[in-house]
Parts: sequence; structure tokens; C-alpha cells
Amino acid sequence: MPFQILINVLLAILWMFLQNEYTVVNFISGYVIGILILFIIRRFLKFDFYLKRVWAIIKLIYLFIVELIKANIDVVKVVLKPKQDHQPGIVAVRTQLESNFEISILAALITLTPGTISMDFSNDSKTIYVHSIDVPDKEAMIKDIQGSFEKAIMEVTK
Amino acid sequence: MNTMIDVLVAIFVVIGVFFAVVSAIGIVRLKDVYSRAHASGKSATLGVIFIMLAVFIHFLSQGVMNAKILLAILFLFLTAPVASLMITRSAYRNGVKLEKNTVIDDLKEMYEIDQNQSK
Amino acid sequence: MFDTVLIVALSALSIALLLLFIRVIIGPSTQDRILALDAIGVLLVGFIGILMILQDTSVYSDIVLVLTILGFVGTLTLSKFLERGVVIEHDD
Repeated sequence: MPFQILINVLLAILWMFLQNEYTVVNFISGYVIGILILFIIRRFLKFDFYLKRVWAIIKLIYLFIVELIKANIDVVKVVLKPKQDHQPGIVAVRTQLESNFEISILAALITLTPGTISMDFSNDSKTIYVHSIDVPDKEAMIKDIQGSFEKAIMEVTK
Repeated sequence: MNTMIDVLVAIFVVIGVFFAVVSAIGIVRLKDVYSRAHASGKSATLGVIFIMLAVFIHFLSQGVMNAKILLAILFLFLTAPVASLMITRSAYRNGVKLEKNTVIDDLKEMYEIDQNQSK
Repeated sequence: MFDTVLIVALSALSIALLLLFIRVIIGPSTQDRILALDAIGVLLVGFIGILMILQDTSVYSDIVLVLTILGFVGTLTLSKFLERGVVIEHDD
């Protein structure tokens, strides 16, 4: 993957030289053309097209933003409710992710999603302890986290 | 054209300030430090991100591409979860009480196991 | 009209900062105070952002960056200190 990005940048610089105009716009258009060239010759290079991973990252960011906005509507509801009768709780969530990087991304995602913030890790960092502002159904919450975020993160880093 | 952008900027500012005020009310109204972390970690961050987007659009309409603002948005996005995690963890380890209608506390077991092992 | 909206927004933010300051004073635990101070730092960034639009100048953008980073580092340092009694851990 770093090799492909290097080729792509080199193609962009080459395009800039061919245009004889050294501007950012030329560099970006060269980069886009480089992506196209890499896409066409991907079969001869014998490795995966790296934009697949970039696409997964974009999907992850999209998920992130949508969840953040949902989370805020949730907080507004809880804060402005006249009677404060929500039932908070701390729930342990097992995760299948392995590297530290993946787990910290998952923790950040949990913090910015509706009603949950990550609080602590177990010693083997396989379990994330999540504080939820309202837990009517523990199992559904765990399933929600494992179903949506773990899958999206695995797609990026596997 | 110019008024269009002004209206857009105003809408963004109003949304951002709304979320910021809600987070302040939440920090005053909610009952324990863990619930307050919800208000400060999510609403304050999103509110300020909206305001900074408004600033960015305002300067973009004048032809100034202010990359520092984008950098500030990125920092806010990255740092807010870490800050709220650190605060709640230190609160739990220092024994700050959970509010009284808390239903589940899985974390307590882990610390009990931890203390038994160290004995 | 546009300026009026911005000034109203600034006043609302000031009220929010005042509310947070109440929490800093009464907060039962030290962590409550840190949380409120962290939120004050974040809201100040927004405050300066609105001032930038109002005064039509981009010279404050450095202040915004520095305030973001300093607020984060201050929060981390304080909570880490309260948790373990040290700020920087050594593995020995």
C-alpha cells in the first residue's frame, strides 16, 4: 500500500511537470489521473487496489458523523427532560479486535455514539467498559456496538 | 449571493450555540460525574465543531482558505473522547459514587477480582 | 441583522460559560471540576470563533489551535495526576 501511494504521488508530480504549471490544482488533477491509471493496471501489479481501503475509511467517517449527530439529539432529549428518571449503568462489552490501534478507535467511536461513553479497559484489553446513560436492554446495546462498529473497523484494518 | 452565505453561517452558529448551551445545562443538571461526561464529551464538541465550520465557511466565501480552522476541528474530534475517558476513569478509580438509580455496574466486579489477586 | 444574531449567540455562550463556572465552584468531586473546566476550554474556542466572524479577522486562528491543544493536555494531566499521583509513568 505505501508503494502504491508513492507511485500515485510520482504520477501526480509528473503530470505537474508536463503541464509546466506548479500549482495545487494541477497536483490534485494529476493525482486523480494517477488513481485512474492505477485502477486500470491493477491486474498487472498483483496487489489489491488501495482505494478499496480508502473507501472503507470514508464509510467509517460517514458512520461516525451520523452517529455523532444522533448522539447529540439523544443528549438534548435527556438533558431537557423535565423529570430525570433515566437509569444509567456500566456494561462490559467484549470485543474481537486485537491491535491497540483498533481498540482505541472503537473506544473513541463508542464515546461519540448515542448514550454511551467508554470508561475503562480490562487488563487484557479485550473488554471495554461502557457507561450508558439509559440501559433498558443490556443485550441489545452490546449487540448494537458489536454489529455496527466492529464490522466497520475490521473492514478498514483487516 | 453574499446574503445566502451569511444566512448559512448564521444557521450554523445558532445550531452550534444551541448544542453548547445544552451541554452547559446538562453539566449543571445531571446528577453524577459519569452522566455529566456525556453532556461535555458529545454536545460541547459537536457545538463547537458547528461554530468552527461556520467560521470556515465565512472565510471561504471571502476567498481565504483557512486550514488552521480545519486543523482545530480535527483536534477537537480526536481529543474529546480521550478527555472524557480519562476523567471518568480517574473518577471511578478514586471512588466517586454512581447516582442512586444506576441499574448495572459490571466494572465493580473487575476491580474486586483485581484486588483479590493482588492480596 | 447578521451581527445581531452573532451578538445574541455570544451572549448565550456567556451564559453557558457562567453555568459551567457554577459547576466548577460547587462540583462535589474534583473530577466534576475538571470536567467543567474542560468544557469551558472547549466553549472558549467557539467563543473566539464567533469573535473571528464578528470582527472579520483571521488572526485569532492560532489562538484557537493553541487553546484546543492546551485544554486537552491540561485535562489529561490533571486526571492522570488524580488517578495515580504521577503524571508521567516509568516502567520500572
